[in-house]
Amino acid sequence: MSIDLNHYLHLSALLFALGFLGVLLRKNTLVVYMCLELMLIASTVALVAFSHFNGTLDGNVFVFFILTIAAAEVAVGLAIIVALFRKRHTVQLEELNHLKH
Amino acid sequence: MSMLQHAILVLLLPLFSAAVIALFLRKQGALASWISTGIAAAIAAISIILLVHGQRFEASVEWLRFGDFSVSLGIKYDDLAALMLFIVGFVGFLIHLFSLGYMHDDKARARFFGGLSIFMFSMIGIVLADNLFMIFIFWELVGFSSWLLINHYHEKQSAADASKKAFIVNRVGDFGFLLGIIWCYYCLNTVNLSELKAAIDGGVLPCSKWIPLLLFCGAMGKSAQLPLQVWLPDAMEGPTPVSALIHAATMVAAGIYMLCRIHFLMVDEALTVIMWIGTATALYAALCAIVQRDIKKVLAYSTLSQLGYMVAAFGLGSRQEVTFGHNADMTNTAIVIATGVGAAMFHLTTHAFFKALMFLGSGSVIHGCHHEQDIFMMGGLRKKMPVTFITFTIGVFAITGMPFFAGFFSKDAILYLAMEKNTAVFGILAFTAILTSFYMFRMWKITFFGEARSESASHAHESGLTMTLPLIVLAVLSIIGATGPLGLYPKLAGSIATLIPEAEGSAHTTILLVSLFVMIVGAGSALFFYKAAGTDTLEEKSRAVFGGLTWLKESFDNLYDYYVAKVQQRFAMLLNFLEQIFLAGLIIRGLAGVVGLVGYGARALYTGSVHTYVYWFLIGAALLWAYAAGIF
Repeated sequence: MSIDLNHYLHLSALLFALGFLGVLLRKNTLVVYMCLELMLIASTVALVAFSHFNGTLDGNVFVFFILTIAAAEVAVGLAIIVALFRKRHTVQLEELNHLKH
Repeated sequence: MSMLQHAILVLLLPLFSAAVIALFLRKQGALASWISTGIAAAIAAISIILLVHGQRFEASVEWLRFGDFSVSLGIKYDDLAALMLFIVGFVGFLIHLFSLGYMHDDKARARFFGGLSIFMFSMIGIVLADNLFMIFIFWELVGFSSWLLINHYHEKQSAADASKKAFIVNRVGDFGFLLGIIWCYYCLNTVNLSELKAAIDGGVLPCSKWIPLLLFCGAMGKSAQLPLQVWLPDAMEGPTPVSALIHAATMVAAGIYMLCRIHFLMVDEALTVIMWIGTATALYAALCAIVQRDIKKVLAYSTLSQLGYMVAAFGLGSRQEVTFGHNADMTNTAIVIATGVGAAMFHLTTHAFFKALMFLGSGSVIHGCHHEQDIFMMGGLRKKMPVTFITFTIGVFAITGMPFFAGFFSKDAILYLAMEKNTAVFGILAFTAILTSFYMFRMWKITFFGEARSESASHAHESGLTMTLPLIVLAVLSIIGATGPLGLYPKLAGSIATLIPEAEGSAHTTILLVSLFVMIVGAGSALFFYKAAGTDTLEEKSRAVFGGLTWLKESFDNLYDYYVAKVQQRFAMLLNFLEQIFLAGLIIRGLAGVVGLVGYGARALYTGSVHTYVYWFLIGAALLWAYAAGIF
């Protein structure tokens, strides 16, 4: 069985769906955060596959940028979550609801 | 200094005095009273200089401009203004002088004299104004100063009520006046008196008979003609010098003066209405005067009645061509309501003298009797207050038309005019003259004769020189201030004096006999009928007549009370109700409600739950995708 582009795209869609459902359904901020990362990674899988099958570097270049931004985002995001935990002693999403009407 | 500068000075001096008193001298009553009186003396002097100098002029400057419409301030000093300025200045000065004595112990003396000064300013403004808008501005200022001065004893509820009543009733008339001015501007495109006159003389017709009638509304309020006469008797709550100056000699005469200023706008229908209103007022007020106990109220109703005479005299005039002019080179012909203006201004002048005299006389009596105003509590003042008695007697003779007193000439002129024009009016005015003589001699006898009927009257004393001197001067003017051999009036009035209707031949005899007859009948029956005692003889002898006259007096007040309480108040409540429902409820609260509802809906989006936001994000992304895909 040869592995073609569709297999990669299915994998990518599956990962993305997992990430998205995690963001929607999980209550812990850290887990939600990891699911967000999973969605990003899903998109990079698709991009790398495109790059490989087209024989160009365009998708790979995108991946470098995405990884760079994700690294910066993780640094900031984790710092916010740590600060939030120090302040509120919880990272459960349903308790972080002070910004409502 | 040119005469124009004199005229500007005479206008601004009292304003200066009022400003100085209001800003710096509110606590220094003595100084304020001297400044105000000094300025009044200067006004009197300048008005005499202007009168004697003989120059007549006009000047104006633009004050405000809105596009094509401009309001100007100007001075029109003609013979009419000269006469009126003299009356205001001279009588005003005498009353200031009298007030020095009368108000000497008043604790709010500075406010009183400041009020007199602001009144002088406003009144002189009316006299000198050269256009209707300017007249209106000063008209309102006069109303304000009248309010201020009636309200002088403001701690008394009745005085406060009276001042409000005077102000509000005047507003009613002024509303008509303002409408008339606007209509006049709309039709004739100017409100300048000279330009209006030129336009009318040039053959332009005033486009409606309502213009003169609406303008007359202003006079109706200010000169207290039926049906707006109710404020004047109540205005007697003010200090007596104020009653003399404002509510007898000058301000209430402003209405007649204004009519004479705009006489060229009159049409025959308007004149007829004015004539009948004046006649009715004269009769009504004379009937009311018979049952009054308060010395000032008698004089107030008498003032109303005499104002009615003047208005009737004006209305009796008819449009005709005459030649007039002060100098030979200024002579031109014009249409004026010659005889009406002549008779009305003549009576206005003599009335200013003798009514100011009698009001000041009553002030002297009230002052002497320690603020007792009921004539039945007086009595026997003839010996105790000789100067007041003699001068007051001259005033009574003048108003009742005793030959060779001022009122005799002016009243005869009006009666003659009425006899020529309208027999019914003549009959009513002659009957009014009987009544005038009747109530005047009633008051005269009860006040000055018999025994002192109260503690305060028995301790009465003659007033000081500042109070008796004005009485003497006014008494002299009440004798010589008319035509006749010694008459001063032709000198005062210039060309206006030539307009007085004069009876010739048999008509002259008839008028003379009629006026003598009415005076003797009125005076004789009063002197015979009334006892100088503490009770009203009419009330004892005929309760029906007395009650009827009292009812008549109160009928207008009752009617207005009924109107205000039962009609106007309910209408106002209805409007308030509708306002609450529609304006406040639907429009104002309604708009706020819609906005609030939107806010409430928008607020519901902020749940504070990240998961909800994710769904919103998803919907947003779907919409964006749909837009990008061209679905909408």
